[in-house]
Amino acid sequence: MSCQAIDVKAYSFGEVTAAERRDAEFHMKSCADCRVELAQLQLVQAALGGLREEEPPRRIAFVSDKVFEPNWRQRFWASGARVGFAGAGLLSVAILVHGFTRPPALTQTAPTPVVAKVSTADVQNQIDEAVAKAVARIEERQNSKVDQLLATTEKKYELERQALAIAFNDNDLLRKQNRQMQIQRAGLVKD
Amino acid sequence: MIFREVEDRDLIATARKGDVEAYNLLVSRWEKRVFNYLLRLTGGRREDAQDLSQDVFLKAYQNLAKLDDPAKFAGWLFRIAHNEAYSMLRKKRLDDAEITFDPPTAEASLGSGSRMFPVELSLAVQSALSRLHADQREAVLLKVYQGFKFEEMAEILEIPVSTVKSRLYTALDLLKTALTPAGVR
Repeated sequence: MSCQAIDVKAYSFGEVTAAERRDAEFHMKSCADCRVELAQLQLVQAALGGLREEEPPRRIAFVSDKVFEPNWRQRFWASGARVGFAGAGLLSVAILVHGFTRPPALTQTAPTPVVAKVSTADVQNQIDEAVAKAVARIEERQNSKVDQLLATTEKKYELERQALAIAFNDNDLLRKQNRQMQIQRAGLVKD
Repeated sequence: MIFREVEDRDLIATARKGDVEAYNLLVSRWEKRVFNYLLRLTGGRREDAQDLSQDVFLKAYQNLAKLDDPAKFAGWLFRIAHNEAYSMLRKKRLDDAEITFDPPTAEASLGSGSRMFPVELSLAVQSALSRLHADQREAVLLKVYQGFKFEEMAEILEIPVSTVKSRLYTALDLLKTALTPAGVR
């Protein structure tokens, strides 16, 4: 590898990739010129680093002043509203783009011609027919329910009537038995 | 460095809401670096560097809402400093006909072969820096003293990375000649 392929200055600042660093180090093992170049650069950087930093003569500080404070627009813009506006803007653009680039076939498939061919009377007839069918279905369902209800009620009434008859019979029988017992008791008293 | 970046980001966020104290804290962290950068850019004129520093931080505060990525605050701040300094230098060039850099009080060089005291070394470095072209000197300041990467320097100076490298490498060759002891050369 030639010296031109090695960036010794970038290497001295550590601004090389891992592969470049490996190549540079491998090259410098066998190249005295590049080693000297690196040593000189390191000396220069060390010398530059020796220059003392100076303190500013006066500290800089700002006081709370309306002039320096960001205005309401800047604060609003920095408060996250920017994201909302960007979102709204994108949505608007998307709607606009969709509006302009919508396939024309969609607009032609509107069913207006079909509607135009059907007369008002036909529509009315269809509506009447549909309503009649619906009413018939409902009436049929209601009649069926009423019949079921009547049958259940009649059966219940019949059962109650039979129960009452049995109760009356039982009552008559008890009364007769009671009567016989009274007669027998009267006979025994006479005897 | 990462910890500091996180804290800077917090201060920037607070300052953006109008908190001047948060901004003052941010200023106190950066003013020395900015002042020294401007001091060397203006050839050691302390008053100019001080005035420029104030202008830089005022402009930064007024434009803080425009800073897209708070993690890039350092580069953004130094771009303002660069623009302010060159704006002033252009104005002065018109007023004074030519910019002259304050030379160090004594000419010194590591090339003499003798061991140098820190003060002499400092003077030698100042002398060598003052002899560089302004663009080359700024490349050295941003790279060696501020530690920016080539890409960051390109953003600050608004020039391609190749130009950044070209300026810096030429400056380093000149400084090498001026500062390296004869025995090492």
